[in-house]
Amino acid sequence: MNKFIGVILLISALLFPIANAEELDYNYQSTFFVPIKMSITEDFSTKTPLNEGEKLQFKITEDVFINKSKILEKGTLVNATIETIITSGMNGFPDEVILNRFEIPGIKNSQIRNEYIKTGRNRCYWVYPLKWALTPIPFVGSLTNLIKGGHAQIKTDDIITIYYYPEWK
Amino acid sequence: MRAVLTLLLITSLSLPVKAIENTILTNENNIQTRIDSIGTTILNKNKIDKRIIFTYNKKTKKKALSADKTITNRQIVIYDGLYQSVQTDDELAAMLSREISTVIKSYSGAWGGTIDSAQVTLGSKKFEIVADKRAVDYMVNSGYNPLALIVFINKTCPQKRFDKFSRHNLTSKRLARIYEYITFKYPQYLENNEFIDNPYYQNFLLTSIDNRKKLEEKIETKSTKEIDYE
Repeated sequence: MNKFIGVILLISALLFPIANAEELDYNYQSTFFVPIKMSITEDFSTKTPLNEGEKLQFKITEDVFINKSKILEKGTLVNATIETIITSGMNGFPDEVILNRFEIPGIKNSQIRNEYIKTGRNRCYWVYPLKWALTPIPFVGSLTNLIKGGHAQIKTDDIITIYYYPEWK
Repeated sequence: MRAVLTLLLITSLSLPVKAIENTILTNENNIQTRIDSIGTTILNKNKIDKRIIFTYNKKTKKKALSADKTITNRQIVIYDGLYQSVQTDDELAAMLSREISTVIKSYSGAWGGTIDSAQVTLGSKKFEIVADKRAVDYMVNSGYNPLALIVFINKTCPQKRFDKFSRHNLTSKRLARIYEYITFKYPQYLENNEFIDNPYYQNFLLTSIDNRKKLEEKIETKSTKEIDYE
């Protein structure tokens, strides 16, 4: 009887971790990455309003290799999605655009580490000190509210780099 | 004999108290585990490589008396009062995603994110909308239904009279912007709408008829202009 209980306990102990192990659909153990450099095919600026979810086109500027074998050729076109647009605001807040979902042939989005963020000129650094300096004069400090931050721009000669982790799921 | 009886009486009285304490602790532990589990899933699935922790707090938030730890400590505190409005995992994911998107902003920019944190605080109206939009993305990437964010905000955020001089947007405007964002980016959630029989979502539809009409006009005219929601 005792042997029987012992065997049951042993089997449960062996099976329990397996039964409870939930396989995740990601694994970030590997630190090996390959940089992919690209540039936009047409100048982009948040001055021209766009809707979030629209696509921008990039092209790869250098061949990409893993262990001396070429995985991506220079000139390959890549689409990226405009994830979020943050419009400029009072007191020098700049425009900001967040790009994600780079559609690179043969590479899953889950294997790319970062989104790409481009910010316009941030004028807060001098607008706020100016505002505080003008505050003693009634209503004058509020005039800095009219100063807006810069537009976010991506030019065709800007090189952006995203990081591909080939061993990630 | 009397001593034994006294001892028995004390023991029998203290047992229910201990049982209640244990039940409360177990309950709090379950809530914390649920928050940690969903919060960490959102962080991992969105590849957010910044440290953020989640803490369940039984107290009610006293905003005027305590600093917001979301930006200063990168610690998301879930207060009991708000947690009580959470019914499903989607709604909890909505609440956490919303907070995560605020914390992320505190990591970017000069001086260890101090400048960007100040911008979030000073331009809170603008970043409120941004945080809502990012929360939608985080939810979709983690496998949660982003319409739950609409349901959660519709249930928990009151509607003020004006927002012209306020640091916060009218809740109806926030909801309309979230709905617009989902319409353009993730229309599949509206086409196969799992929330159509949800009374809270229906309440949002009822209270947003005018704003949704404006969005329909924007879609028809293929405009890219920002809608002035009510």
